[in-house]
Amino acid sequence: MTDLSQRRHGLETLVGAHGDREQLSATVTLEIRAAVRQLNLRGDPGKAGLRTAAEEALGQALPVQPNATTAGPHTICWLGPDEWLVLSATPDAANVATALEQALSKHGAAVNDVSGGQVLLHLAGSGVRDLLAKGCTLDFHPRAFAPGACAQSGLAKANVLIRLDEDGEAFDVVVRRSFADYLLRWLRHAA
Amino acid sequence: MARQTNRLGSGGRIDRSRPLRFRFNGRDYGGYEGDTLASALLANGVRLVNRSFKLHRPRGIIGCGAEEPNAILQLGSGAGTLPNQRATQVSLYDGLEARSTRGWPSLRFDASSVNDLFGRVFSAGFYYKTFMFPQRWWDYYEAFIRRSAGLGVAPDRPDPDRYEHRNAHCDVLVVGAGPAGLMAALAAARSGARVILADQQREPGGSLVGSDLPIGGRPADEWIAAVVDELREFDDVRVLTHSIVFGYHDHNFVTIAQECGGDMRERLWRVRARQVVLAQGAFERPLAFCNNDRPGVMLASAVSAYIKRYAVCPGRRAVVFTNNDSAYQCALDLAHAGATVGALVDSRGSVSSELTDRVEAVGIPVLHGHIVTDVRGRLSVGGVRVARWNGDTDARADNSIDIRCDLLAVSGGWNPAVHLHSQAGGAIAWDERRHCFVPAESRQANRSAGSGNGRWSLADCLRDGRDAGVAAARSCGFDAAEPELPVVEERDETPLQPLWRVPAARDPDSCPKQFLDFQNDTCVADVRLAVREGYRNVEHVKRYTALGFGTDQGKLGNITGMAVLAETLGAPVASVGTTTFRPPFTPVSFGVCAGEGVGELYDPVRKTAIHEWHVSAGAAFENVGQWHRPWYFPRAGEDLNSAVARECLATRRSIGILDASTLGKIDVQGRDAVAFLERIYPHKVGRMAVGRCAYGLMLGEDGMVMDDGVMTRLGDRRYYLTTTTGGAARVLAWLESWLQTEWPDLEVYLTSLTDQLSTISVAGPNSRRLLEKLGCSIDLSREQFPFMSMRQADLAGLPVQLFRVSFSGELAFEINVDSAHALALWQTLMDAGREFEITPYGTETMHVLRAEKGFVIVGQDTDGSVTPIDLGLERMLAKDKDFLGKRSLARPDCVREGRKQLVGLLSADGRTVLREGAQLIEEPGAAHPVPMIGHVTSSYMSDCLGHPIALALVAGGRSRHGETIHASLGAGSIATVTIVPPVFYDPQNERQHD
Amino acid sequence: MLLIDCPWCGERAETEFSYGGEAGITRPKDPAALSDAEWADYLFMRNNPKGAHRELWNHSQGCRRWFGIERDTLTYRIAGTFRLHGKDEG
Repeated sequence: MTDLSQRRHGLETLVGAHGDREQLSATVTLEIRAAVRQLNLRGDPGKAGLRTAAEEALGQALPVQPNATTAGPHTICWLGPDEWLVLSATPDAANVATALEQALSKHGAAVNDVSGGQVLLHLAGSGVRDLLAKGCTLDFHPRAFAPGACAQSGLAKANVLIRLDEDGEAFDVVVRRSFADYLLRWLRHAA
Repeated sequence: MARQTNRLGSGGRIDRSRPLRFRFNGRDYGGYEGDTLASALLANGVRLVNRSFKLHRPRGIIGCGAEEPNAILQLGSGAGTLPNQRATQVSLYDGLEARSTRGWPSLRFDASSVNDLFGRVFSAGFYYKTFMFPQRWWDYYEAFIRRSAGLGVAPDRPDPDRYEHRNAHCDVLVVGAGPAGLMAALAAARSGARVILADQQREPGGSLVGSDLPIGGRPADEWIAAVVDELREFDDVRVLTHSIVFGYHDHNFVTIAQECGGDMRERLWRVRARQVVLAQGAFERPLAFCNNDRPGVMLASAVSAYIKRYAVCPGRRAVVFTNNDSAYQCALDLAHAGATVGALVDSRGSVSSELTDRVEAVGIPVLHGHIVTDVRGRLSVGGVRVARWNGDTDARADNSIDIRCDLLAVSGGWNPAVHLHSQAGGAIAWDERRHCFVPAESRQANRSAGSGNGRWSLADCLRDGRDAGVAAARSCGFDAAEPELPVVEERDETPLQPLWRVPAARDPDSCPKQFLDFQNDTCVADVRLAVREGYRNVEHVKRYTALGFGTDQGKLGNITGMAVLAETLGAPVASVGTTTFRPPFTPVSFGVCAGEGVGELYDPVRKTAIHEWHVSAGAAFENVGQWHRPWYFPRAGEDLNSAVARECLATRRSIGILDASTLGKIDVQGRDAVAFLERIYPHKVGRMAVGRCAYGLMLGEDGMVMDDGVMTRLGDRRYYLTTTTGGAARVLAWLESWLQTEWPDLEVYLTSLTDQLSTISVAGPNSRRLLEKLGCSIDLSREQFPFMSMRQADLAGLPVQLFRVSFSGELAFEINVDSAHALALWQTLMDAGREFEITPYGTETMHVLRAEKGFVIVGQDTDGSVTPIDLGLERMLAKDKDFLGKRSLARPDCVREGRKQLVGLLSADGRTVLREGAQLIEEPGAAHPVPMIGHVTSSYMSDCLGHPIALALVAGGRSRHGETIHASLGAGSIATVTIVPPVFYDPQNERQHD
Repeated sequence: MLLIDCPWCGERAETEFSYGGEAGITRPKDPAALSDAEWADYLFMRNNPKGAHRELWNHSQGCRRWFGIERDTLTYRIAGTFRLHGKDEG
């Protein structure tokens, strides 16, 4: 009855009248990137073979430095010494989870598709740093938060993953789905 | 409208092109942009602004900043009214309304001023001595004290103003933008450091604002502007004005309240600084002479500030009274502003001739070796009495000279503002040479500079500030050069003469009042009385006399009070010490503390993926943790009870549908998943076949039930756990803690799927038929898909996990689906279920259904003191393995007789619904205290059974089935109840196994 | 508000962390072999020193790692943070 090829994100009510792309203020735009696949990966990077297998399956290396990301076919964010988030906007993103799971199964790793449970907000514009600073204790100064860096923290009263893109211009904010409505309200208010 | 009689024709930092109107105590006045409420009141010649707290003495403005004890006013009215605002720190705006908070029937004639006539009664310890007996009258006393003492009125409606929070980071935070702070900020900024400079005034410059003192060969104002312009050129420098640094917390976390313009009233800056330079200056202190609180007695520095910053001369005929050099500038400023200065009274016998000459040159008589001992006038200063003095504090003053005046400018020396240094944990020390407390050793990464560090001359302040800025930047790793110091005039300094209590014509205990703390009416005689009554410790004297307890926290008179205490005790000031400084430096509004976190942003509202459907279906919601969950789905005309009755019956007869997505969901996988879960769960985890489910309890190490849920084996090394809604985050963190701290050798990975998966529970005898109708890829029969098992399936074209578990006692399926599809699946189920009259239900029906089956809710039927044995679940405890909490179950308290155990209760009358939480007793008529033998944990009307049911914890309850006890219904009413087993519905479990 | 140097993520505000009590409390290998008093000692008894204290913290809003801190309970000064045993050490 439901056509899976028409993959809906179920976030229509969050977007409301604003559309997928919304001007939060004169200096900040917001985009809800529902099409990006999100995979949570856990495993021991010290284990022989795990990193190689992951790199083969993903086409890029896992970041092992804290709060770093790697760019390639996907964006891979460091979440912890044994945990990563793969953000994938590739055309075959839906198959990445399966491929990764198969590649890593013998290395004792855990792969979970969390695309339905997390919402990726893309914030761009000259006012983003100031906006984030209203609700987050991280230091977003270019000296402290470099392009390609990521960090988990709190934004307002929600837990988030924040990533600065490679150009150092726009931020991705990943929030759990159940907090997304709250966080959007906060962003609209604070902006 | 009144004329601004005290406004000077030129000068000041006000904008004469922007006149403003305001109202004070019902009268209209005018002021200018740049005024404070205090400067505008003084410009209009308003002397009397309030009555004092205890004695209701008339009071006027005395200071010009945070130290002001008297001009504490109520602003505005209605929802936006602000109590306890210091007029000296309120920026004037058009339409401002202010009023005094004391003085009835009027400020000029205050009935309570009779308190002053009976001043002996209102002495130290007044509150303790007067309102003691009889104790039952205390309620009346309290009401009386509050009414007569109240400082202002809190608004009774939500604040309409906006506030926000802002986090910031910097290398060097400089507090105070006076000469020392500006030099510190400049030195740090030039090194490349990230700098925040915060100042409470409208514009930077501190004591130099409006000054014509030459700095570096140009007027001070030009020098300030040049420095600030340079600072603003740096990308990494932020200059905050109108910003009070009020809290210095751990690890250099500093909070600043900034007054904003426009629709944003205030902003809270939460700054993490690597280094802090404290350059917030010094507070001038008053002198304690008789009637030193009369309106028109002001601090000399405040008089200068009003003249220079606001072009307001607060009097026409002035006298200046000092024990140090700084007030000579005030005399010059008064003369320059056109006031007549009747005399400059200096307690010191000799002063540098250079200084004296300059004052005498403008025609001001200087009286060295003299003191002001008393003030004439009641509602306003009318004159002063002056006596010759030889430095003997025990002498009696002769009061030989009487000088008519309307303003007395006083300087008793300076107290460095050590508050933030002290808040940061730093030590403060008495400086014997400068006669003040100065910052000593710092505990955090901060240093003090300028007059806040006991440097009095401009040259010293500039140098001290520069050095502090350079040192701070270097501590952050910046290669800071020393900026050149601007050349300033150096003068000979004559040391301050220590003088606190000024001798009077009579002895200090019977002379007219010499005030120390103006806000709390604490006088010299009170401190002396406290000492006579045996108080020695400064903290005790403070509490007994209320010295320093006002909203000004004793910024004006505390040190003077301590010096008087020291003198009375015959001890050095250093040995008396000072009290502890705590945040906030000045009062801050609740609004700015809350920031954006009010209304719908007060706390996150978590919503399931199906939430909008519930809203459109008209659900009533309840908060479960941060979640908003449907409580029940009322139809037209239904209340909670009737809606729940309908939902329960529909579920038992056909199909009910519940959004159970808030359950905590954890994916557990890895080589050692079995070994790990065996240690966590009391039951045998490894024995479960793949695809089987089990009810699982989690115990704390203390053996008490901590959480529960269903665990499902998905594979050899993979399990899926559910937790309670409220326990999800806590349980995940707890499991991680065992893996990381105790068992790092286990290779197990936990991933939260709480948000990824939505859970729809379909319960009732027709639920299987509904799923079959939708098209399910697997055989749903009892044989192929038995109770307590799980299958992967496609349902309505969607991949789902189906669980044969039941929290209602009915045939039921829990469906896990990707949250992206949850709403679509829910709608599909609702559409297909129409022929079965599918009924959505909420948490209340869920609770009734489970209580009918005797299923407990952790946190409702348990409270952290209940073991699995207490719940009757000992069959779940594996004997042949260890698990968390097992050893505790053998502790003496866990095996003793008479522990409270889970039972069911039935009302004897078959009608009474017990109250949850009600205490249970054996006999209603028993002698007090009546022993409590347990309490009701859950209680509902069961429409399915036709009578109320309850669950309870009762001492030894399991062996008491069939016995009769009693439950309190409140208000002395008692219900008779029978103890029964806790399962009321389908005890053979036939329905859920169907 | 403390500034805590997470051994992985670096310096972060205290609000990102949760406190886990005294460090170095090890679960007995064979609880059943312990007397009631010994078990109670493991379960309930904790040091409460004035001064240096080794304690567990969790970077709950960040990398979710448990780690140790040596903190002065009087001054709140943190002498250092340390990773726990096993694969986390480094």
